Amino acid sequence: MYDETTHPPDARHHLASLLMRESLIDKQVVAATETRTPLLRMLPEAHVVKIGGRSIVDQGATALPALVTVLGEVLKTQKLILSTGGGVRTRHVFSIGIDLGLPTGVLAQLALADALGNAHILGALLSPLGVVAIPPEMFGHLLPLFLHSAPGVIFNGDPPYSLWEHPPEIGRIPPHRTDAGSYLLAECFGCANVILVKDVDGLYDADPKTHADARFIPEIGVAELRAMNLETLPFDEVLLDLLERSRLVRRFQLINGLHPERLARAIAGENVGTIIHAD
Amino acid sequence: MMEGMSGDLLTELGKNLVSGSLSDRDLMRQTVGPVERILPEANVVKIGGQSLIDRGRAAVFPVLDEIVANLPRHRMILGTGAGTRARHAYSVAIDLGLPTGVMSVLGTFVSMQNARMIHYLLARHGIPFIEPAQFPQLPLFLAERRAAVFFGMPPYTFWQQNPAIGRIPPHRTDTGSYLVSEVFGTRSMIYIKDEDGLYTADPKKDRHAKFIPKITVAELKAKDLGDLVVERAVLDLMERAVHQRSIRVINGLVPGNLTRALNGEDVGTLISAD
Repeated sequence: MYDETTHPPDARHHLASLLMRESLIDKQVVAATETRTPLLRMLPEAHVVKIGGRSIVDQGATALPALVTVLGEVLKTQKLILSTGGGVRTRHVFSIGIDLGLPTGVLAQLALADALGNAHILGALLSPLGVVAIPPEMFGHLLPLFLHSAPGVIFNGDPPYSLWEHPPEIGRIPPHRTDAGSYLLAECFGCANVILVKDVDGLYDADPKTHADARFIPEIGVAELRAMNLETLPFDEVLLDLLERSRLVRRFQLINGLHPERLARAIAGENVGTIIHAD
Repeated sequence: MMEGMSGDLLTELGKNLVSGSLSDRDLMRQTVGPVERILPEANVVKIGGQSLIDRGRAAVFPVLDEIVANLPRHRMILGTGAGTRARHAYSVAIDLGLPTGVMSVLGTFVSMQNARMIHYLLARHGIPFIEPAQFPQLPLFLAERRAAVFFGMPPYTFWQQNPAIGRIPPHRTDTGSYLVSEVFGTRSMIYIKDEDGLYTADPKKDRHAKFIPKITVAELKAKDLGDLVVERAVLDLMERAVHQRSIRVINGLVPGNLTRALNGEDVGTLISAD
């Protein structure tokens, strides 16, 4: 830490504060910011519900209307922050973008449009309830106001990383997609729940579509899940990293939206799918 | 529906992406391939907040003069740090228990103030300040005016990730500037700070700190230094980068350093991923 008794005042014009003159990269300084002050939960009663793109929205009338009916019931008593995935259109634009040699940040920017389109599809179905898709530019800043005025809001689940998306460990696909964006929003606002609605009952130790003996996993911690080294995960892999560093939202639940009644139970706190939690 | 997109229009990779899992590592290995450099002639130059801009005219004007002098030869995307006001805002936020995402918003505002000030001082040269939404105009500004100013914070706002330790946003202006250089495949990433480059410790606090002119990310990580001259997240991102595999840190208080760095000369510290 900077010691004024041994170092003369410098030519930088500082504002007096706890972090004055400090390097925010210094490990000791960083550790000192982990104070006992409890973190504020800005929206502790809201539930974040992500509706899968490929798994639900792309299925059209076979999956979405039944889920919307349940959402309508839930919205009578609960505040919901709804988000959507980009689905097959995002997969398509990724494949074209990769073929054209475009970098990860550009792919992330392109993907925003598909999830936003799906947010508007969901918003059209929920519009009688006053639940609409909010433009991403104002969504975060005005979220508490919107949620105070309407039973729910919809956003494109993507985090606004866009050109600033991180290069992935392997290949070119943006690692922070709509599962991650939905989770990160819930973590920042201290929401009650994160529920990812897909077309599988939850997590299995193998793909149940190809392995008849796949074992269902109702609840699991991040470390144990990592140790299993599964070939695929039914959610953005980066969620495991994010959960490890979570402060407020220490778990999320994966449920099957083809059984829409499970959504109401998950929001009520029941485990009706798979709960993945920080250790 | 899904069937609507599985026709002959799709490449083999397209078919696999439409039907497969994006957490499947084998599938991810198919997504490699050549990546275009979008702005290969541009340089990203980050002007430090606490290190440079907070010093005021004495430090800022010579750097701006050097930027202007280099306009005929180099295209520059100029990012700004935040500095002492961000530290103040972070301190208040920590005291109130505000989450990292809100602190990210606060840091953005401070780096935006600095970008506006740098922009007004360069305005007579026709150099604009662009917010993230205006980045599609960046190529035009670079072609016409050779430079543009942006705020260094990545626009993550409420979606900023928690740090492993503490509460301060881990992705700040060094990271945001770096990611601009990586996504556009620029020819260089130069950080202007107030030290000659990287040292074994903070030279402001430890007079025995040794200067490191050149180092790899792996070597640097192995040293596990208590303090660094760039955000730690930049090192992680460099290891995964397609284009921007090295960064340079220079002392902006020494006239001529920026010009030398833009010319590709060995000045300051070069940190490389390879």
